[in-house]
Amino acid sequence: MSTPAAASNDYLSYSVEDTQLSLVLLKPITVYTAGAYDEAAQSLSQMEGLTLLVADFSKVREYDSYLAVLVDLIDAACGKRGIQVEYIGMSESMERFLASLKAADQARNDAAADVSAWRSSLEHIGEFTLRLGRDTRDFVEFFGELVYKLLLLLPRPGLIRWKDFPFVFTRAGVDAVPIVVLIGFLIGLIIGYQGAVQLKQFGADIYLADMIGVSITRELGPLMTAIIVAGRSGAAFAAEIGTMKVSEEIDALKSLGFDIMRFLVMPRVLAVMLAVPFLTLFADVAGILGGLLTGLMTLDLTLTGFFNQLQQALTYSHVFSGVLKSVVFGFLIATMGCFRGLQVFGGAESVGKYTTAAVVSGIFLIIFVDAIFAFVFQVLDI
Amino acid sequence: MPDSPIIQVRNLTIQYGSLVVLRDVSFDVYKGEIFVILGGSGCGKSTLMKAIIGLVKPSAGSIIIDGADFTSVRGSERQAVLRKFGVLFQSGGLFASMTLAENVALPLETYTSLNNDRIMQLVDIKLASVGLSGYQNFLPSEISGGMRKRAGLARAMALDPHILGFDEPSAGLDPITSAALDQLIIRLNETLQTTMLVVTHELDSIFAIAHRIIMLDREVKGIIAEGDPRELKEHSTDRRVLNFFNRVVETSEEA
Repeated sequence: MSTPAAASNDYLSYSVEDTQLSLVLLKPITVYTAGAYDEAAQSLSQMEGLTLLVADFSKVREYDSYLAVLVDLIDAACGKRGIQVEYIGMSESMERFLASLKAADQARNDAAADVSAWRSSLEHIGEFTLRLGRDTRDFVEFFGELVYKLLLLLPRPGLIRWKDFPFVFTRAGVDAVPIVVLIGFLIGLIIGYQGAVQLKQFGADIYLADMIGVSITRELGPLMTAIIVAGRSGAAFAAEIGTMKVSEEIDALKSLGFDIMRFLVMPRVLAVMLAVPFLTLFADVAGILGGLLTGLMTLDLTLTGFFNQLQQALTYSHVFSGVLKSVVFGFLIATMGCFRGLQVFGGAESVGKYTTAAVVSGIFLIIFVDAIFAFVFQVLDI
Repeated sequence: MPDSPIIQVRNLTIQYGSLVVLRDVSFDVYKGEIFVILGGSGCGKSTLMKAIIGLVKPSAGSIIIDGADFTSVRGSERQAVLRKFGVLFQSGGLFASMTLAENVALPLETYTSLNNDRIMQLVDIKLASVGLSGYQNFLPSEISGGMRKRAGLARAMALDPHILGFDEPSAGLDPITSAALDQLIIRLNETLQTTMLVVTHELDSIFAIAHRIIMLDREVKGIIAEGDPRELKEHSTDRRVLNFFNRVVETSEEA
């Protein structure tokens, strides 16, 4: 048998007699001293030729749950090598404490056998797919119910709670004007600069008006506006309704016999449907002005020349196709925001999760539907 | 008395602005006892608990925890005193974005140098000791209110504090779950020898768990009774104490 190089450290002293190792634990056994005991246990596990280990706890005055972990460590290390273990010097309270922790540990092991926490990657993929399927089905259901109820209420619009409408319209529409105008102007400016460089090469400066006018009114104006509204109002609806759900306000409304669709969803959806086209027109004007500024600054365009060309290039169908799309975008943004809000369950974390989902899926829907519009408009030659 | 005082509250006054909530309150809590602070609504019992655990700064007086004056210590000394406490808040106070295991592991990861395996072993022991084996990977939103409280208790016990505080542990629980939580408090007190400081006005809980109580009164802004609740119920000469323990409502004419 090999003799240990050192006979003690700050935390334990030990002596070897024949094949028996006697340990005396000297310091508090707590989560704060765990590292030192771990190291000591590690070095002792290297010792060979032992048949019995006697651990003396009589000098230990302070201990906590780590005691159970340490005993477990010693048991495991010795058990593996067939070494018998004997614990001595434990006070009655220490023994009682250890017994209660060991009972808990046993309960843990039993439960671990019953409830497997391990989940394979395949399970995760499966779960994700199922969740996506359920999510889509729920949204289609929600969407269908909303459209159905809107159609039902067309002849009796007084049944919708219009009290919220001006407030939501102001928040989603009027309050968003400055940011929509600013973003629209900057987009016009950027597109103008990018286009001007190319057009100048062909001496086609004047066609900047065509490029700006058509791209802004047909695509960029409605799209950028919708993305901004999704970030502002879609998120706001999800957070607002989600918080109402968490604080049981939705349950209270339901228990009072209110129809959530009529009371909460419709005023928001209708207000945003009305606000987004107006915002889109603001964005269109700002974008064109941004493009005009580029034309005036980088190309030899005149104000009159630009507007004359714009008048020829822009048709009503360009503007109205954009406005029509923006109505649909508004509907989708508000519907998704409300839908996500009503999906919230639990607490604050869930509100955050579904608010993010409202924005992400709202933007996805906008772009997806925009692609469908592009295809349909092309087929219909609009 | 079970042992020497672990908490000594001396001449404590707490006020919010000009509103005095507690005035000149003094009492001791002894090591290993279950000490209940009780009283009617608005008497300042939760405020007193918050002052003891350092969440409310008293206007005057001192709170001595294990020999250190908590009202004057700063920096690392204050941290050391704070680590002697574990608190179970009314709603459990679990972090909603973390699983139960992550919630319980958080103090261990923050304050100890244990490796992940050891931490998870301790987390499992803590969750098992409150009867939540197998719920490691559940989020707080996926379990019941009673389970959330038990998980909150497991987190409060993560660092094996010397003192465990409970703010209205029975609030929002059905009588069976509430009684089970009382049994858990008693069992943990007996096995771990932890001092328990409980704020409640649930009489069933008080008689089930309390070794000693203090009763606060809103009018007096202080203590009107101290001692064994069973003895106080039978022998107190204070009408307010007897009314409280016997659930007597005095009409204004009687008063």
